[in-house]
Amino acid sequence: MPDPLAAQIKQLIAKTIRLEDVDVSAIPDDEPLVGSGLSIDSIDVLELVVVLEKEYGLKISSSEEARAALGSVSSLVAYIRAHCDPSRLPPLS
Amino acid sequence: MDQSPVSLAACECLTALGDTAQTQGALERGQGALELRPFGGAEGGDLVPLALIPGRPLDESSPPSWLPAVRTLMGRCPAGPWGGPRHPVFVTSSNFGVGGLFAFRRGGGREHVEFGSPEACVRLVRGELGWGPNVTTISHACVSSNLGLVLAGRHLAMGLADSALVFTFDFLSPFVAGGFYALKILNAGLPAPYRAQETGSIGLGDGAAFAVLERGEGEWRIEAQTLYNEMHHFTAFPADGSGFAACIEPLARLARGRRVWIKGHGTGTLDAGRLEAEAFARALPESPLVGWKGGLGHTLGSNGLVELAIAREAMRRGRIPGTVGTSAPTFAPNVAVGSLDGRAYDAVICASNAFGGAHAAVLLAHA
Repeated sequence: MPDPLAAQIKQLIAKTIRLEDVDVSAIPDDEPLVGSGLSIDSIDVLELVVVLEKEYGLKISSSEEARAALGSVSSLVAYIRAHCDPSRLPPLS
Repeated sequence: MDQSPVSLAACECLTALGDTAQTQGALERGQGALELRPFGGAEGGDLVPLALIPGRPLDESSPPSWLPAVRTLMGRCPAGPWGGPRHPVFVTSSNFGVGGLFAFRRGGGREHVEFGSPEACVRLVRGELGWGPNVTTISHACVSSNLGLVLAGRHLAMGLADSALVFTFDFLSPFVAGGFYALKILNAGLPAPYRAQETGSIGLGDGAAFAVLERGEGEWRIEAQTLYNEMHHFTAFPADGSGFAACIEPLARLARGRRVWIKGHGTGTLDAGRLEAEAFARALPESPLVGWKGGLGHTLGSNGLVELAIAREAMRRGRIPGTVGTSAPTFAPNVAVGSLDGRAYDAVICASNAFGGAHAAVLLAHA
C-alpha cells in the first residue's frame, strides 16, 4: 500500500517545480531527488524548501539539513514525520 | 590573467567595524560586528547574523540610510576630476538599491522607487559625489568589485585613462537578507570560515570601499589579477575544485618562492570553504590562509575591494588579522586562525568567489 504522505509529497514536488509529462506515481521513493532524472537543481530545492515549510509548518535550519531532508522522497517522508505536527499529515490508510 | 602592474594609489573601506584602520584593528583583536537580528527587519523573522553600520536600520528609508556612510567614506578619496575624460569611475555593487524596490512592493511608498534601480542608485551617488559622466556601472554578484578593478586596470594599461576610481557599495536590506535566509545558508549560526564542522552558515555585512589606480610603479602595486568563470552551476562549484585551481594557479606561479599570504573568500559555507582551502593548500602550501567574513559578514559584491583595503592596511601595519570566528579543526593545515606577523610577508593574494561559479583574485605587493 503506497504511503499517502509520499504520494502527497510527489504531487507537491510536481506542482512546485512544474514537472510536465511526468507520471507522478512513477517518481521513485529512494532515488536522489537532485541529480536524478527529475532534473531538480538548487533553485528548485529553494522553492521546494519554501513550499514544504509552509505546507507542513516545518522550520529547516540550515542548507545541510535541507540537503539531507531532500535526499529522496523516502528521506523527505521520514523528515516530515519526525518534525511535523501529525494533524497536518494525511491519515495512514 | 591581467599582468600589467598598476599602482594602488589609495584604497579605503567602511564596514560595520568602522573605517579601514578601525576594521583592521578590530579583526586583529579577533572582534567581529555580527549580531543576531531578524532577517526581515521591522517585519521580524528568524534571527540571523548581520553586521550593519552603527545606527543604520536594516529597513529601507528614503533617501537611503546608507548615504551618509558613502559621504564619509568618499570624503577620504583623493580629489580628482573623477568621471572626466581621462579619469573614469567604475561603480560596482551586487545589490545597488534593490531593497527600495522591495520596500515599494511591500508598502507602496513611491519614494522608494526613486533609488531602487541600479541606474537611479548610481545617479544618486554620482550627484552626491560630483562625478562627471565617465562612469561605468558593473554588477557580477560577489566578484563585482573585482571586475571593477580589472576594468580600471585595463583602461590604464591601454592608455585610455591617467587614473581610475573604483567605488563599490553593498548595504543590507530585508530583501537581501531574506534571499540568503531562504537558501538556508544564512541561519542562526555564526560563520566559522574554513572550520570542518557539520553545519555551515554565513553572516552578511554592510560594506563600501574605493580604490584609486594609477599607471606605473607605486608604493602598493597590483601585480596581476585573474578572473575565471566555471559556467557550471548557479549555486554550486564542481566537486573537484577545478574552478578554484584555475583562478589561483596563474597567481600562484607568480607568487612561488616569494613571501606571500592569502586572504581567502571564506564565507562559512562548507563546500566552498573546503574547496577553496584545499586549492590554496595545493597551490601554495607554505602560505597561510585567512578569511575575515566571520567578523565582517559577507559584504557581497563589495567584498573584494573592502577586503583588499583591509589587507593593504594589515601589511602597512605589519599585523595580519587571523580567521575571525573559526577554531580547529580546519579544512586545510594552512588556515591561520590567529593573527600573523605581517613583516614576514611582502605580498598578498586576495580571492573572492560568487554565485554562478565566478572566481577572482588579486596579487598585491608592497614595493
